[in-house]
Amino acid sequence: MANIAVARIKREFKEVVKSEEVAKCHIKVELVDDSFTSLRGEILGPPDTPYEGGTFILDIRIPETYPFNPPKVQFLTKIWHPNISSVTGAICLDILKDQWAAAMTLRTVLLSLQALLAAPEPDDPQDAVVARQYKETSDIFSQTARHWASNYASAPHREPVMDDKVAQLKNMGFDEHKARVALSTHNWDIEQAMENILS
Amino acid sequence: MSATDSTAGASGSGGSTQGASGSSGDAPEQPDTSTYECNICLDTARDAVISHCGHLFCWPCLHQWLETRPNRQVCPVCKAGISKDKVIPLYGRGSTDQKDPRDKVPPRPQGLRTEPENNANFPGFGFGEGGFQFGIGAFPFGFFATTFNFNNGRPPPPGPGTQQHGEEQFLSKVFLWVAMMCVVWLLIS
Repeated sequence: MANIAVARIKREFKEVVKSEEVAKCHIKVELVDDSFTSLRGEILGPPDTPYEGGTFILDIRIPETYPFNPPKVQFLTKIWHPNISSVTGAICLDILKDQWAAAMTLRTVLLSLQALLAAPEPDDPQDAVVARQYKETSDIFSQTARHWASNYASAPHREPVMDDKVAQLKNMGFDEHKARVALSTHNWDIEQAMENILS
Repeated sequence: MSATDSTAGASGSGGSTQGASGSSGDAPEQPDTSTYECNICLDTARDAVISHCGHLFCWPCLHQWLETRPNRQVCPVCKAGISKDKVIPLYGRGSTDQKDPRDKVPPRPQGLRTEPENNANFPGFGFGEGGFQFGIGAFPFGFFATTFNFNNGRPPPPGPGTQQHGEEQFLSKVFLWVAMMCVVWLLIS
């Protein structure tokens, strides 16, 4: 499969590795295998956001028609964000769909995703629950997003109150992640969250 | 393969030293070559074309891009409107192909050649100067033409009383007579 997709990914690798963002450890791309069609991306949570300091891993699949069609990207790290599914990690971003342009590269895609973390677009949501929380109770959204980033992306800033609530449910025998999802969905009301898990 | 190796090394260790040495090694040639790289395949552009917005592509690459999205044809770099007819082929001196570019699939659009502007005036044909026309055939067009003269851009007819006016009146009468005689001759014969 010595097609244009592979040739281009090889060239892009050189570009990403040399770029100054990599030097500052903001973005990173790695090979998963030798095929150049399955890659592993990494972005750093941008400063002054709930994701600050977190490391988010991305699964990047290069289609055979690349660069004429966009790469398929999704988050492997669990994240609480209006435009990213908290269940599957699927991303709602126009440049990964109809606004893709052939001159875009892995580097610009990763930088765009970093920008998406800094500027959510709640009117075009991927995760409706998160988007509603973002619009209605932005404080709780920020804390929840920070809590998720500290637990899944090893971001430094913790949310002790939320950690305690998750620990409470975990001690009662619930699965930690299910407890976290239920609490996040019900604005950290323990009783509602428990009802939700048991129903 | 060298790409793979250097990539794996740099990304694996996150090593700033390797990245730095790599970039410094390529630094002298980088600015020159990358200027003429196709924006799609990132290789040096072959069968180069340039969009009106100034972005360089290989023609096969751009053609495939336009084919991929026939309903939304935009420049892959700046998303300006673009189409097959609105790109200009670049013909470098050293890159003259032995093959006719039209034999290639897909054919590259032709360059647009406009003729240089011609500023020389047509030599004057001298018709109708002085508001004067001949009748052709049987009908005395001259009569109408001189009587109902709209005088577009030509010098005005001389005023009555001047010598030229007299001559014109005389000539007008002569031609009127000639026309009458033609009509009479046609009626008789």
